[in-house]
Amino acid sequence: MAVIIIGISTSAIINGCKVPESIASKSGAQLWGENCNRCHNAPDPHTFSDDQWDAAVEHMHQKAILTDLEAKKIVEFLKMAN
Amino acid sequence: MKTKKTLIVLACLGFLSGGLLNKANAQTDSNAVSVPNSPQGGGEKMLLAGEVFTYWQNNKIVGAPTTNSFGADPLGLMLMPLVKLTDRLFLDVQVQVTANPSPGGGAGVSLNEAIIYYHVANGVNIFAGNFQPRSGMFEGILDDFTNRFCSAPIGMGIGVATESGIGLQGAFQLGYSKLYYQLFAANGPQLIVDSSGAANGQLTYGNYTDNNTNKAFGGEIGFLPLSNSSLELGVSGQYTPKTGDAGSAFENISNTTYAAYLNYYHVFNPLMIRILGQYEYSQTQDFNLYTSSSSDTLLVPAFDNKTSGWYGGLTLRLSGSHNTFLSNLELGGRLGQLTLPKAALWGSPNPLNQTTVCLTYWYTWKTPINVSYDIYTQTGSPTQTAITVRGMWFF
Repeated sequence: MAVIIIGISTSAIINGCKVPESIASKSGAQLWGENCNRCHNAPDPHTFSDDQWDAAVEHMHQKAILTDLEAKKIVEFLKMAN
Repeated sequence: MKTKKTLIVLACLGFLSGGLLNKANAQTDSNAVSVPNSPQGGGEKMLLAGEVFTYWQNNKIVGAPTTNSFGADPLGLMLMPLVKLTDRLFLDVQVQVTANPSPGGGAGVSLNEAIIYYHVANGVNIFAGNFQPRSGMFEGILDDFTNRFCSAPIGMGIGVATESGIGLQGAFQLGYSKLYYQLFAANGPQLIVDSSGAANGQLTYGNYTDNNTNKAFGGEIGFLPLSNSSLELGVSGQYTPKTGDAGSAFENISNTTYAAYLNYYHVFNPLMIRILGQYEYSQTQDFNLYTSSSSDTLLVPAFDNKTSGWYGGLTLRLSGSHNTFLSNLELGGRLGQLTLPKAALWGSPNPLNQTTVCLTYWYTWKTPINVSYDIYTQTGSPTQTAITVRGMWFF
């Protein structure tokens, strides 16, 4: 009985933690808007050059503690849009 | 068998010749900068960010003359070199030059932060240096051009400040929610033992040299339950088992701090609403200070050394308005409180309350011009008011 309860609980936690498709497929543009606005206005992609965006987004990756995937998608979007 | 041997020999020759060819090419390519036996790397990506800021203040205390000044931070320049050394290594530095408001002027230079980060794996980054630990969201996050209330909330900054040490941090997606964490070990705060009592029992931060061999341990857990990351909740804390000088009677005086915070924004088109708040608490173990280590004559008696503070604020901005001027205006209101130890000479018998109204005009996304009105009230003390104008140019 205990094994079944643990199994069901573990399964529920794992499935609960599984990243849904709607989250995994978020674009860099969407993540840029959502995450930047948490603390400040979202920056204009033309503000910095590609290399500067690499440094700026890494700063926010660490300062705001973004997930690695969020930081990767956001910097790709900003470099593409500038 | 012979064919197999031949293939192996050919493969080895191919590998060697390829290596030699690559080496030759490398030598040809690096004719301009010939650095034999040099470690690989370089190609940094750098951004020199920073800001210039100025504060002007009009202060009025009931029953006293009104004063105008350029505030405690009249004029300053903060430079922030951000250097991505490699895909895993990142350097984050903050140096600040601030004009001295006292007669005679001059300027002071301070190193706010100098941190090196190393990306270990997904959701795992280690860091070391002089850093502002995550202690709620105000210090280090919302205390900059991100502060929509211009003045600082009085209840903040009583907890953990800049420290030297090492740490670990990262974030994970958990279903629709997100979780982030930070853990660190640092020099920690140092106890002030003051025979005049004026600062006895207070702590100093930003210590590059430790006063004992003990370390402070702390961390934070943040949770973003909504899929659009608009709500952020978190708790943080730090425990320092020993704050006193090694070998002194006060070495084992401990300190505990913690904080809890909330940050939420939502756009009810055209209106953007932001709600934010934080609570901070710090307790240092109490101690009697005697005239000497062998005496039982009290110089400064022990007191309940607890300090706490909180603030809560709301801002409104018509971010969806078609009128550019209106859409760049943000109105904020905030309440805050600071409670100091009652029996300390530096304490207060009653909490100090702060009410703030602030209007911000966003000249650009990172250039706010703020005008705020603060009212400070405290039972038994005259009411104080302050009008503050702040200009901040982030670059």
